[in-house]
Amino acid sequence: MKTAALLFLLASAAPALAHPALEKAMPAANASVKAPKLISMQFSERLEPAFSGAALADASGKTVPVSASVGGSTITLIPFNLKPGAYKVSWHGVGRDTHRVSGSFGFKVVP
Amino acid sequence: MLAAARGLYFAAAMLLFGSTAFCAVLRRHLPIILPPPLAALRWSALAVAALAGCLWLAAAAAQMADALNAAVLMQTVTGTLFGQLFLVRMIALAALAGLFATERGGHVTSLPAARLLAAALMAGLALALPAATGHAANSGPPGFLAIGAAVDGAHLLTAGFWIGGLAVLAALFARREPNMLLALSLFSDWAMMAVLLLVMTGAINAASIVLGGRGRISPLYMGALGLKLALVLAMLTLAAVNRFRLLPRLDTGAIARNARLELGLGIIVVLLAGALGQLQPTL
Repeated sequence: MKTAALLFLLASAAPALAHPALEKAMPAANASVKAPKLISMQFSERLEPAFSGAALADASGKTVPVSASVGGSTITLIPFNLKPGAYKVSWHGVGRDTHRVSGSFGFKVVP
Repeated sequence: MLAAARGLYFAAAMLLFGSTAFCAVLRRHLPIILPPPLAALRWSALAVAALAGCLWLAAAAAQMADALNAAVLMQTVTGTLFGQLFLVRMIALAALAGLFATERGGHVTSLPAARLLAAALMAGLALALPAATGHAANSGPPGFLAIGAAVDGAHLLTAGFWIGGLAVLAALFARREPNMLLALSLFSDWAMMAVLLLVMTGAINAASIVLGGRGRISPLYMGALGLKLALVLAMLTLAAVNRFRLLPRLDTGAIARNARLELGLGIIVVLLAGALGQLQPTL
């Protein structure tokens, strides 16, 4: 299929654009881990820091204070002393091609 | 709206670049041919490029922020690569307008050769700069941005030379240029090089986008791509018929008909590319 797509693309007059995708998260989705010192999300493309970011919420949906930063293709959250329980990371990323993607994943902190 | 604005911008920028670049080639190699009457086309293309460029910015800002207001627009222009390159493109279009304004008798090719080259350079900047925010440039490994953007930019410029050059030929046909065969022969030589580069850069883009993609290829993307390729193949067929069959027979009437059809197909291909650029290649 990809070879056929390659042939189709030959002689095309302008390139196609794709969307950035979340490639790897630490902690991984649905993982049970000891309180992480940082939460990182690695994307498939460089991100625009002005329009990319993430937030952390606890099991009750209450926002948990974090220090967030966006650099290159990574969004990083530094939480402060997470207590045992379930947490949800909601992220949004904008690639340099201006496409916006968003999503969320959960993880559990164990004692 | 984003796809339409993007497609219109590229179509107008290609007409601007190709027409000025091929006029510069004509000036250098065939000074016997008087400047073609292209002022109306160029001012129209300039206005469309400026308007579509602004609409593209607004639509992209709304897409990035999931909202649109003055603050979002300002943040887009100052805080993103796309916005910063938008400013440079608008400056290039303004410089182009300044150069066009100095033309005499409605013919930009009455500009001194240096100014004609400057016009081609400004139009080329406006056409090629969006390549830096394209997927081919940004999906590669760190450090690949410059290479990906250069390949992508060359792809846009060669397509622009082909389409804009056809517009110059159409104007010469309409004027019943007495040295039409010389102009056709010159365009044919340059267009063949441009098309060769177009295919090569397209292949590199393809490798970057499709082979480097994750997951299955989207059927919708493939459908749009198939339609686009069919139109490009039709353009190449018309170009080959003109070059290898009609030109040796000196059949300028049939060549003119085919060239106009080729130009029309080229504009449709670019507009389609505007829509294609908004689709996700893989599922």
